[in-house]
Amino acid sequence: MNEVGFILSIMPGLLHGAITSVFVALAAISLGIILGITVCQMRRSQYWPLVRAAGLYISFLRGIPVLVILFLLFYMPSAVNIEVPSLLVAVLALGLNTSAFQAEIYRGGFNSIPAGQIEAAKALGLSRMRILTRIQLPQVLSLTGPELVNEFIILFKNSSLISVIGVTELMRRSEQLVSTTYKPVEVYLAAAIIYLALCLIISRLGERLKGKH
Amino acid sequence: MDALTTFLLRWQSFLAENGPDFAAALWVTIRISMVAIVCGLILGFAAELGRRICPWLRRPVACYVEFFRGTPLLIQLYLLYYGGPRVGIVLDAEPAGMLGMSLYAAAYFCEIFRAGFESIPEGQREAAHCLGIRPWRRLWRIELPQMAQIVLPPAVNQIITLIKDSAVLSIITVAELTKTATRIMNISFEIVMPLCLLALLYWIISEAVAVVSGKAEARLTRHLTR
Amino acid sequence: MEETITPAIKISDVRKRYGQHEVLQGIDMEVMPREVVCLIGPSGSGKSTLLRCVNFLEVYDEGEILVEGALMGYEMQYNGTRRRAGEARIRDSRRDLGMVFQHFNLWPHMTAMENVTEALISVAGKPRATAEKKGMECLERVGLAEKAHSYPAKLSGGQQQRVAIARALAMEPRIMLFDEPTSALDPELVGDVLQVMRSLASDGMTMLIVTHEMGFAAEVADRVVFMEGGSVVEQGPPDKLFHSPESPRLAAFLKSWTHRNGQVA
Repeated sequence: MNEVGFILSIMPGLLHGAITSVFVALAAISLGIILGITVCQMRRSQYWPLVRAAGLYISFLRGIPVLVILFLLFYMPSAVNIEVPSLLVAVLALGLNTSAFQAEIYRGGFNSIPAGQIEAAKALGLSRMRILTRIQLPQVLSLTGPELVNEFIILFKNSSLISVIGVTELMRRSEQLVSTTYKPVEVYLAAAIIYLALCLIISRLGERLKGKH
Repeated sequence: MDALTTFLLRWQSFLAENGPDFAAALWVTIRISMVAIVCGLILGFAAELGRRICPWLRRPVACYVEFFRGTPLLIQLYLLYYGGPRVGIVLDAEPAGMLGMSLYAAAYFCEIFRAGFESIPEGQREAAHCLGIRPWRRLWRIELPQMAQIVLPPAVNQIITLIKDSAVLSIITVAELTKTATRIMNISFEIVMPLCLLALLYWIISEAVAVVSGKAEARLTRHLTR
Repeated sequence: MEETITPAIKISDVRKRYGQHEVLQGIDMEVMPREVVCLIGPSGSGKSTLLRCVNFLEVYDEGEILVEGALMGYEMQYNGTRRRAGEARIRDSRRDLGMVFQHFNLWPHMTAMENVTEALISVAGKPRATAEKKGMECLERVGLAEKAHSYPAKLSGGQQQRVAIARALAMEPRIMLFDEPTSALDPELVGDVLQVMRSLASDGMTMLIVTHEMGFAAEVADRVVFMEGGSVVEQGPPDKLFHSPESPRLAAFLKSWTHRNGQVA
């Protein structure tokens, strides 16, 4: 079983790349949550310019492939002679992409809180900010939990694309190994196994969090 | 005013020179996506129906779905395109892309159909069974019509996602939209225009599909709910 | 010289339209301090809408609603016209008004105690310890002290509504508004809530209640107002209204009610 032995031997090297993938994904999703909630609030505001702007943001970033966002952020700065580090581009691109999807997810969450709860809060004199932080957000985050976990899994798989702009994560490490060992099937299968395992871990963690509530 | 005319002239010459290439690439993207979507729908439905009818298919189909949904499309394509020859599968870039995307799409559609089937209350099947209605008839007259409404929105979302995912094929050198744009970037040293056109084209496709399917959905469900 | 008492709520010629449909057609009504007034009438009569206009959860188009002498929801301009008051101003004017809703509207992710103390902490600025003490008092008042740390999902409808009453009481309102407080409850649970409302009334709270519970109105109300089709048809002491109604519409309404539920009182 040479193949199995080989796969096991390259695992450590691949796992190093996987750690980069995970970090980039975590950074991107944090950015995505902050931007997502902000854009969602813009979308739900009373000032129509904000609503329009948020709508365009969401439509554009959901309407183009992640790869194109990566290329836009990677190559455009060079047109004005600025160079942006690949890692930053990766986090930004993934973060922007997920923020647009998250904004829609949160919007569904906000809309599913019965209006009566907000009325009761208003009748008691709670301020808008207080209603958002104490009444709406806790419920929105728990209502949208499963969808957010799903989004994180998608984001993590999309992180494989950042290899094309030179970030040495799992995908790139695999390519490098293939070019030195000439064993594409074994190497890519090994990488696939790592992706599978990590996605499984993420969804298990998601279920655990849901169970706690 | 001067800046505006220069801007427009630059775009005009860019489009005149590269327009045909982009148009050809657009066609490649569309035809690959359509093949993947249609094959994915058929295969995905077959897989879901199969495992409902034959219990021994449950494990294999579950593994298949788990693999193709749990790993990035890029890895799947690499395995097929670069790893394929090792097991005797030698394909050109475009056919490999079509096959890879079809298998990928089928896994997602399989899950969408599963959710559709599961959303129909078991009691309806029991009632049909008690009335002596045969399974295929039940499928055709009771289950599928109700499923259509439930399944349509996620299926449309998946279709739009697949069209966008086709951009990944550029990495295995398929001459679709994204690859063409990067190629033109390399040849002409233009950066902004190819990229903007690329983003614009995908955006228009996504919005167009969303609008058209929204209308189709309204028409279809009205027909169903009478 | 007779001292004129300011009505707790004074509604003058209030009108409201939904598109073409005039939902409130010139309502005139007063609620004096310590008075309990019950609004009755068929569904669609506008009674809930009127109640919700009092604390400006709904916007009235014409007329005036004065709560303790202050105009509700609008600001008078220098030139005599008026415009909608800003949010902060509206929030301020709701300070003396407590509201209890038909569907309780408790916040499901917070315990009973947390529901009751939230406004005390964030609006009245009380420190947590003081707020919880007050919260416990209010929960005791409605008979639910032992459920302070339960979540709404674990409470019956009647218990949830009583927590909602405690939550409104905690802010020490001078006037309490009730929007069909028992309509969403199972019959066996209605009694507990009515009991709490009865005790509030006997403690002198000013109350404006939209209700279908005629027996309760007959027993507790100082005045009953019958509305139909957006206007006040008849108002007066419960004895008079229930036993010798003047208007034929009220008589018809009572007849169909007693036919379904038995004698009023």
